[in-house]
Amino acid sequence: MQLPEKAEVVIIGGGVNGAGLAYSLANRGLSDVVILEKNYLTCGATGRCGAGIRQQWSTEANTRMAIESVKMFEGLSEELGHDIGLRQGGYLIIGHSDADAAQFKKNVAMQKSLGLGVSYLDPSEINGIVPILDAEGMGATCATWCPTDGHADPFHTTFAYAKAAERLGARIYRRTTVTGIDAPDGAVSKVRTDRGDIKARWVVNAAGCNSAEIAAMAGIDIPIKPYPKEIFATERLKPLFKPMVISFHDGIYFSQQEHGQVVGGISDPEAKPQWRAMPSLRFLKRMASTLTRYVPDFRHLKVLRQWTGFYDVTPDAQPILGEDEDVSGFMQCNGFSGHGFMISPSVTKALSEYILDGRASTLDMKALSKKRFVGELDREASVVG
Amino acid sequence: MRIEKHPILDFGRKKKVSFSYDGNPLEAFEGETIGSALHAAGIKELSHSLRFKRPRGFFCGIGKCSSCAMRVNGVPNVRTCIVNATEGMVVERQDGMGELPDAEFGDARYEILETGIAVVGGGPAGISAAIEAARQGAKVALIDENTMLGGQLIKQTHRFFGSKEHSAGIRGIKIAGEMFGELRAFEAKGLVQILSGATATGYYKDKRRRKEHLLGISKGNDFYELNADRVIIATGANENMLQFPNNDLPGVYGAGGVQTLMNVYGIRPGNRVLMVGAGNVGVIVSYQLLQAGIDVAAVVEAAPRIGAYHVHAAKLRRFGVPILTGHTVKKANGKGHVTGATLVKLDDNWKQVEGTETEVGCDTICLAVGLTPSCELLFQCGAKMKYYSEACGYVPLHDDEMMTTIPGVYVAGDASGIEEASTAIMEGRIAGLAAAKGLAEGRGGAIDNRIASIKEQLAMLREGPFGFHAACGKGKILNDMQSERGCASNDSCDPVPEFTHSRPQTYLFADSTQSKALRTRTAHEQKFAYPADRNTGGRA
Ligand SMILES: Cc1cc2nc3c(=O)[nH]c(=O)nc-3n(C[C@H](O)[C@H](O)[C@H](O)COP(=O)(O)OP(=O)(O)OC[C@H]3O[C@@H](n4cnc5c(N)ncnc54)[C@H](O)[C@@H]3O)c2cc1C
Ligand SMILES: Cc1cc2nc3c(=O)[nH]c(=O)nc-3n(C[C@H](O)[C@H](O)[C@H](O)COP(=O)(O)OP(=O)(O)OC[C@H]3O[C@@H](n4cnc5c(N)ncnc54)[C@H](O)[C@@H]3O)c2cc1C
Ligand code: FES
Repeated sequence: MQLPEKAEVVIIGGGVNGAGLAYSLANRGLSDVVILEKNYLTCGATGRCGAGIRQQWSTEANTRMAIESVKMFEGLSEELGHDIGLRQGGYLIIGHSDADAAQFKKNVAMQKSLGLGVSYLDPSEINGIVPILDAEGMGATCATWCPTDGHADPFHTTFAYAKAAERLGARIYRRTTVTGIDAPDGAVSKVRTDRGDIKARWVVNAAGCNSAEIAAMAGIDIPIKPYPKEIFATERLKPLFKPMVISFHDGIYFSQQEHGQVVGGISDPEAKPQWRAMPSLRFLKRMASTLTRYVPDFRHLKVLRQWTGFYDVTPDAQPILGEDEDVSGFMQCNGFSGHGFMISPSVTKALSEYILDGRASTLDMKALSKKRFVGELDREASVVG
Repeated sequence: MRIEKHPILDFGRKKKVSFSYDGNPLEAFEGETIGSALHAAGIKELSHSLRFKRPRGFFCGIGKCSSCAMRVNGVPNVRTCIVNATEGMVVERQDGMGELPDAEFGDARYEILETGIAVVGGGPAGISAAIEAARQGAKVALIDENTMLGGQLIKQTHRFFGSKEHSAGIRGIKIAGEMFGELRAFEAKGLVQILSGATATGYYKDKRRRKEHLLGISKGNDFYELNADRVIIATGANENMLQFPNNDLPGVYGAGGVQTLMNVYGIRPGNRVLMVGAGNVGVIVSYQLLQAGIDVAAVVEAAPRIGAYHVHAAKLRRFGVPILTGHTVKKANGKGHVTGATLVKLDDNWKQVEGTETEVGCDTICLAVGLTPSCELLFQCGAKMKYYSEACGYVPLHDDEMMTTIPGVYVAGDASGIEEASTAIMEGRIAGLAAAKGLAEGRGGAIDNRIASIKEQLAMLREGPFGFHAACGKGKILNDMQSERGCASNDSCDPVPEFTHSRPQTYLFADSTQSKALRTRTAHEQKFAYPADRNTGGRA
């Protein structure tokens, strides 16, 4: 397929965010949108992720954004005409210390003030939510529980967005790698690819862990580093539990998917930013020993496969969003760390608002500009994996 | 369903063992897999699929497709075609998804092993590699998922084709027998360690590994870290599936699966078989079915002409078996298991011609429609892979000593491109010798001479009309390997390889819901335990 000579918006990256943005724009009538994807849709972090959707955050801004996203996820299958596999089985967050308990209580109070149905639990209440958990083995001192959290199928979500966008006139070019960006006089003008060039009014950098590279093509420096993150899936079993169980302290998260497999990951305290995609035995051991401590019955569980994805990590684990201050027409949509799937509905809606209306009403993107890395940072505490 | 008298084979049945199937007592002969024993008792429906609850049976018979998963001694998702029936075993049909066993988790060992050369796959390629390397004095560990070594070779009762001199006229099973003898001798000397019933589940490059290469091996409840100086991947091939409605009905089998039942265990795959594919495999297996006293309804071939050697096809014709070229299977018929098939004519563009449907009565549909190299471990270890139609799929680039783009990782046999057993043996020998260089003491020159002479034999084998195609493919692979090495150095191309799964399940069926559960248990056990996790948030 021949690339068009020009397009109003060129989106670099065919993950959930690229596809979601193409849909949001096309849905509001801006259909001259092109997605350039170097491989295939979902080949980046999206197709490798845990696809958990959580509203329990420690900062008000993130909680709002997540609540808004869940509302949108709830209507997405119908809106897009394709089942995205949303299942709201809840998130159970395990705490392990008095400090956790104090922080959790604070979080729950703030989350409740925003209208979120969430509760603080004592260890004795954990088995009421997930009977197979071993509260003692986990070393749980407390937990928080939000039944409307859950997960969706990342492949179906992305394909649903992409198909709907294409129906509305957007075009998707797979196996097309962006190799350069022309931005003379501080404004984007053209995207170069291995299959020809496209003139563009807007260029969106939704290239996941390659976003720093893409930004550099336009002469922009953003502090994004790739962190390899391993994850595994087990054999399929009859439903055992519905929620996603996570612990920031142990760095573990796991849930049972609709088709029966338990999918989960664990962070590596020695992780360094690097391009290492090879799955490790170290991860498998760490995951096995922690998971069987959480759920002793899982010692019978067989691992089916393991793989690696990359988090695109900024110094404060928050995304970089919005029009770049130095190059006009260059939109950042990256730096999502381990939660770019769950917030994609609000993120892509906000970016489309900015492009169409000149300002985003869904979300305050000013706080998420790259400029914040110059001063003091406010870290999100509730991050996992 | 047992074959009592066979013109060539003696099944050497010995002791009987009793086991139960869904509460009913059944008998098997010692050394028989659960899947075969059930088949012998006429039980073809082994499980029901996860989503649509469709009946599922046996397909490949060699552990590759997961179609035979059942609950065994309370453990779900056991591939019953590669696990032997034993005294007192409790076998149950699995309806949809499995359930966790409630029994205590039995003994589980976590062991760290070391060897010179790890050979994955105990077919003709892997065994030959192990023998040659051991002959040079190298220490070898040979891993195969099946309880019986030999891969696809142990099923071949006919005399070999395709080879000008080597092994021509000798039956496959006899060649296998001779190889086993040699292998056992090296095992007795302590040079070869055989791990059968063990699956290589992943290739790792952990920092803490003790040698250049590390494989994860899962055997029963046990898990081994196998550290090796070199690795040879000889994992063979997967049998191809054909797309047609009801292709997942019990009674639709791969040709290798049919051969396993019939030639290894002496069990009738059915009473009347429709063969799909008139290449050498389809035609030879049809003839073997007739030898075993099983009716062959017809051989269907989509191409306009027969691919097999004329002599083989002529034998079938003498038995009055029709070979229908330009035809394919439109659908399989039956409820619960195959009772027939609808055939249809194809036009010059391979499109089905409406109105030309005919019905065939049969209880088995045997697919002999080619193989695809089993390359999961090679993808996963990062070897540069490329699609070659002559090789029948993606294979690793490799040099003429079978080394891939990963130094120290070799490939041999069908995993390096689909050919035949005699070439698999030659490639295995070359890989074994090449891998032994530097590991076996002071015989470098001798190794090179031996490699050179085997290369000559291999070239001769590929001279025949059937070897030609493969030889073209091998030529391309070699060329690509050379140019790859030429431009090497900073070639770490794509930082996110498309395949990072350690061993992805193979999708064979339209409703591919039955997963192959690898036996990597998450053992809650001392040796498995890792230092307490002190992660304080970190990056997320
Ligand atoms: C193991 C793991 C678990 C996770 N779990 C969760 C979770 O539970 N919940 C959650 O919300 N998030 C999770 N995440 C994070 C989430 O997956 C990501 O934040 C999200 O998918 C990012 O989507 P994206 O569209 O921004 O980027 P990606 O999906 O990474 O898409 C970027 C695309 O850009 C393409 N690209 C790159 N360079 C170029 C170029 N030069 N030219 C053209 N195309 C290019 C890539 O090929 C890729 O397809 C997890 C991530 C990982 C790795
Ligand atoms: C039905 C049929 C008929 C044939 N007829 C002929 C013939 O007449 N003449 C001829 O020359 N050739 C014939 N062939 C081809 C010949 O059998 C193969 O080319 C040859 O067996 C290939 O040898 P191999 O060692 O590469 O692989 P295989 O024989 O397939 O052996 C590979 C072994 O590796 C094991 N394995 C795979 N992955 C793993 C893992 N991860 N861990 C542990 N073990 C693993 C497998 O279980 C298997 O035992 C036939 C093949 C088939 C299927
Ligand atoms: S029939 Fe057992 S895995 Fe294929």
